[in-house]
Amino acid sequence: MANSKEMKEVLFGPVFANNPIALQVLGICSALAVTSSLKNALIMSIALTLVTAFSSLFISMIRNHIPSSVRIIVQMTIIASLVIVVDQTLQAFVYATAKELSVFVGLIITNCIVMGRAEAYAMKSPPMMSFLDGIGNGLGYSVVLLTVGFIRELFGKGTLFDVEILPLVSEGGFYQPMGLLILPPSSFFIIGLFIWVLRTYKKDQVEKA
Amino acid sequence: MASNNESIGKTLGVVVGLCLVCAVVVSMAAVQLRPLQQANKTQDVQRNILAAAGFTDVKNVSETFNANIEARLVNLESGEFVTDKSLSGLDVDNEIDKFDFEMTKFDAKRSFKLEKANDLAGVQRMTTESPVYFAKNDSGKVETIILPVQGYGLWGIMYGFLALDTDTKTVKAINFYKHNETPGLGGEIQNPKWTATWEDKQLPVDIVKGTAGNNVHKVDGLSGATLTSVGVDNTFKFWTSDKAFGPFLAKVREGALN
Repeated sequence: MANSKEMKEVLFGPVFANNPIALQVLGICSALAVTSSLKNALIMSIALTLVTAFSSLFISMIRNHIPSSVRIIVQMTIIASLVIVVDQTLQAFVYATAKELSVFVGLIITNCIVMGRAEAYAMKSPPMMSFLDGIGNGLGYSVVLLTVGFIRELFGKGTLFDVEILPLVSEGGFYQPMGLLILPPSSFFIIGLFIWVLRTYKKDQVEKA
Repeated sequence: MASNNESIGKTLGVVVGLCLVCAVVVSMAAVQLRPLQQANKTQDVQRNILAAAGFTDVKNVSETFNANIEARLVNLESGEFVTDKSLSGLDVDNEIDKFDFEMTKFDAKRSFKLEKANDLAGVQRMTTESPVYFAKNDSGKVETIILPVQGYGLWGIMYGFLALDTDTKTVKAINFYKHNETPGLGGEIQNPKWTATWEDKQLPVDIVKGTAGNNVHKVDGLSGATLTSVGVDNTFKFWTSDKAFGPFLAKVREGALN
């Protein structure tokens, strides 16, 4: 069993030091689409974290029995099954959010973070560590999603979790919302800024030109 | 990695075993959760119908719906209620609850293609029947007629309800619950401020640019969303015309509700 220092590194490393979106620039597509409100971003983060953690766990458990010729398909099957279960659960318990997330829950299947961790880590590591690695990368994804969601919802709609923070001009308040922030391309700018800030702070993440 | 993993037998065994396990897990989730999902879907439609009827902040959606709303199936051509309980092999009561315009309009037996010239709302195909909803007051008298409408906006079909007074001329409310219009521009069709400007307008209503004032036949369009506004205009004009609910509304004026 790995010691606790190593476990900590696997769990918290991906949050800032090795963030899957900011450093590896994976999983951008869903980060653009579902971050127009904080609530959607939160549910998407939870869904992705669970899928990454459990797919890594299951893949790691059977890693010594997976024939390398079909390993990608085996990984996909496990990931896809988990995603369907998550999607069905969302539709059953948080229908309104599931309707808004719509196709993007299904697209977790093709999210590079999940596949990437399965192939790069879970295939070589024991189950417990793979599970933590999945949670860690899910958290890294969540940090970016929630940051982007926070900025977009606050300045685009003047609300947070649908609670009014900045009263809008159209409702008699003072705040003129930035329409661009509600549209998906704005996430590009915010994620870009996020990466800039992170790399200014952690110089070792800057790629050599 | 052990080399015997690569044998054909082992490969097949792993793949088949994994597929079986995954199939069982997925089917169990789907079957177990289906009743909940179905209830959610029905409730979602009911909540939107209630919202169009003026019931907001409803706590128990299905209870309020059953107590206040009556759904009937209408033959659009004749404008009469479908009373035959088994319409071309379909259970009418069940049909009203489950009616899905998008599905039904591709059912060859129950729909037809619209000529381009007649297709103001851009729906392409039209069903022969449609549900209508009646909101009743405590003594059981119909107060509001709620018509489901859909039409093409800027980016896609907008789905909504048009609530009319029993005189079939006065708009009580409009409510769009599903659309792909641009957030902040066309998406403002859901803004309560804008939908409130429709209250007490008299059909036919034209959407105009900023000159509506107190004219009962005019509503101001959404600024920055001309095409969406045109879509909304066309949608309501189409659904209250002879091609859609026109004949039914004529029957109501003749006293079909009494």
